[in-house]
Amino acid sequence: MKEILLGNGAIALGAVAAGVNLVSGYPGTPSTEVLQTVAKYNKDGKIYVEWSTNEKAAMEVAAGASYSGARTMVTMKQVGLNVASDPLMCLSYIGIKGGMVVLVADDPGPISSQTEQDTRHFGEYANIPVLDPSSPEEAYEMTKYAFELSEHIGMPVIMRPTTKVCHASAAIELDEPAVHEYDGFTKDPRWVIFPPLSYKRHIEIEKQQPVISGIFDEIRYNSITGTSKTGIAAGGVTAAIAMDVIRSLGVEDKVSFLKVGAVFPAPKGLYKKFLSMTDRILVLEELDPVIETGLTYAKAENAITDVAITGKLDFRINPAGELKFDLVRKYICEYLSLDYTDNSCKPMELPARPPVLCAGCPHRASFYAVKKAMKNRKSVFCGDIGCYTLGNAKPLDMVDTCLCMGAGITAAQGIKRTNPDTNAFAFIGDSTFFASGMTGLANAVYNNTNINVIILDNSTTAMTGHQPHPGTGRTMMETQSARIDPVKVAKALNAGFVEEADPYDLDKAIETVRAAAEYDGVSVVVFRAPCIAVSKPSGLYITENCTGCMHCINEIGCPAMYIEDSKVKINDTLCFGCGLCAQICPGKKIIKA
Amino acid sequence: MDILISGVGGQGTILASKILASGAALTSGVCARTGETIGMSQRGGCVVSHVRTEEVCSSYIPQGCADLILSFELCEGARNIPWLKKGGHAIVNTAQINPITVALGASTYDTQAIKDYISENSHAYFVDANSIALSCGSVKTVNVVLVGIAFGLSLLDVSKESIITAINKNVKPRFFEMNTDAFEAGIKASASLK
Repeated sequence: MKEILLGNGAIALGAVAAGVNLVSGYPGTPSTEVLQTVAKYNKDGKIYVEWSTNEKAAMEVAAGASYSGARTMVTMKQVGLNVASDPLMCLSYIGIKGGMVVLVADDPGPISSQTEQDTRHFGEYANIPVLDPSSPEEAYEMTKYAFELSEHIGMPVIMRPTTKVCHASAAIELDEPAVHEYDGFTKDPRWVIFPPLSYKRHIEIEKQQPVISGIFDEIRYNSITGTSKTGIAAGGVTAAIAMDVIRSLGVEDKVSFLKVGAVFPAPKGLYKKFLSMTDRILVLEELDPVIETGLTYAKAENAITDVAITGKLDFRINPAGELKFDLVRKYICEYLSLDYTDNSCKPMELPARPPVLCAGCPHRASFYAVKKAMKNRKSVFCGDIGCYTLGNAKPLDMVDTCLCMGAGITAAQGIKRTNPDTNAFAFIGDSTFFASGMTGLANAVYNNTNINVIILDNSTTAMTGHQPHPGTGRTMMETQSARIDPVKVAKALNAGFVEEADPYDLDKAIETVRAAAEYDGVSVVVFRAPCIAVSKPSGLYITENCTGCMHCINEIGCPAMYIEDSKVKINDTLCFGCGLCAQICPGKKIIKA
Repeated sequence: MDILISGVGGQGTILASKILASGAALTSGVCARTGETIGMSQRGGCVVSHVRTEEVCSSYIPQGCADLILSFELCEGARNIPWLKKGGHAIVNTAQINPITVALGASTYDTQAIKDYISENSHAYFVDANSIALSCGSVKTVNVVLVGIAFGLSLLDVSKESIITAINKNVKPRFFEMNTDAFEAGIKASASLK
């Protein structure tokens, strides 16, 4: 029977069908469900599955297993590959034995990311093939193929879905899971990277590129349909959308269509064929013009002069953001000089609904405590990646910088060095601290930079959907390890001031932050309270004889609060009973129900 | 057909889309696709699920094409009306969830203007689905209540049995009865909307 699966689930079960032996990764939207689905289907525990501390660790774990002949998959989002780029760049030289799939999800938009970087470039940079599925069905088939290809060429293969493939679902017919047997690690100088070996391998890698390009000329994920001299080329999810647009406009016989799913190394023979049968080509692809550049190179290599290529390189297509159906239709209609009418009605102006920290979220209380403690004192608040990035929103307004995972702690040091009269704060979540905060803290202690680190320990990786991490001790194999306590880590790293505080106890929390700020040296406050999504509500608060001063709403902006007849009311399905509002109400009009 | 489900993060839109997609797959045995909003917006932001049961390549409904909108929240229904085709139906929960921008005075939530806009641009059904869900045991069943209303209004091309099978497949066993009750309550409530 067919199963309705998310694209990420299809990739997971494609790997299971290929007999994957080990899957490691670090959570990150839109990639997270891949590893989770493998774990869910791994009832007999035959596949080893782990959330690693970060993407670099995950890729190296997978590499070691692949050296041993195991089939492996490592999962991450696009910015995660920046962290794992060190092992990736070296792995293309060293190679692997068991098939290794590097699953990197890109995020055009971006919808939940810092950048719109294009992982297809990483493939090109590292000389590693890239597969780019257009749908969940294709993602399933491609993942199975990726393991075969990886073993055939002795290198990792990148699977690069984008958000709208990861989070789309389709009905997929599943295969019986295969069993992949492996021998284990055999000692061999090939596993030790040294300059002479790298030189030799570099030549082999470059020679391999045209061979893989030849495979991609013939592969079923790349195709040409139609015979028109007017060409449209598209890749990834945009290929699926472009096919729908072409069909909806009824112009199937007016265009030749090049679909590119195996995108790097560029299928040069197929590109040459498409260039020789068309006199103009519109290239539709999200993020960077990779297919377009490939076609442009192929045109030059084959000394073709009579084909006009248009797309992102000549700014016909918007360089940023998603290419949704309506936009693709607009571009295709303009290209084909077709009129179209937009039947949809005009949107109405509506109140914006930005994402917010949940009602009862301990981060709100932590931010508020720091805000109160530092009132009228010159301070800069460096944020980081996680739910707590939402602390930037008004009325909290407590995130002055946010760059990448772990950057808050280190950026605060640069700010302190150049603004010595400022209190430099860094907020970091527990999972992010383990992923990339500890080295930054060591840096502050070593260089004696007087910063204040606030670790927001909610005992989970909240933003990506509550994955366990080293601080929880729970693993994806359903075992329990010794929990790593950020308080002990901070002490072991010789931070001079290390205190734990309950964010919901406002007065004490403020006092602790003040003491930390006054401490001359590196201070660490660990605010500890579980994420509301993984804990039970502790009662309910209501307003009684509210005077309508609005102090609570204007100070903490809890989404459970609303105004009715100029009085504050508390939504009883949203209130989590944290009691922060009751602690700040000037007239003590908020009480426990 | 193309169905768009809209709401606020945390309301359970994804379960409704799973039920509709697996229900469709069971009924016709052909194509069923969904497209979800997962990630940052789930923290109280706008969420949309797309359900498509036609032979299409992409999972997301173009603007002006949806046959039906199921909205878990009034303002989110209005936000997605441009996705509805001319003459399309909209089943809109009258429950209001005020964005924090409203409480802070940065924007206004004009209930009547929003209702008027939806009525002018769709074949609209307004229903207090939260109350129906509460009477079935939990406001969380609002997703199944809305599916029941759409089914009761004959706006879904799936059988009742396949929806019940789909509910069974997608909710925990201990919540199955509460959800089928909510589905039936939705069907019952649809009678007064016809």
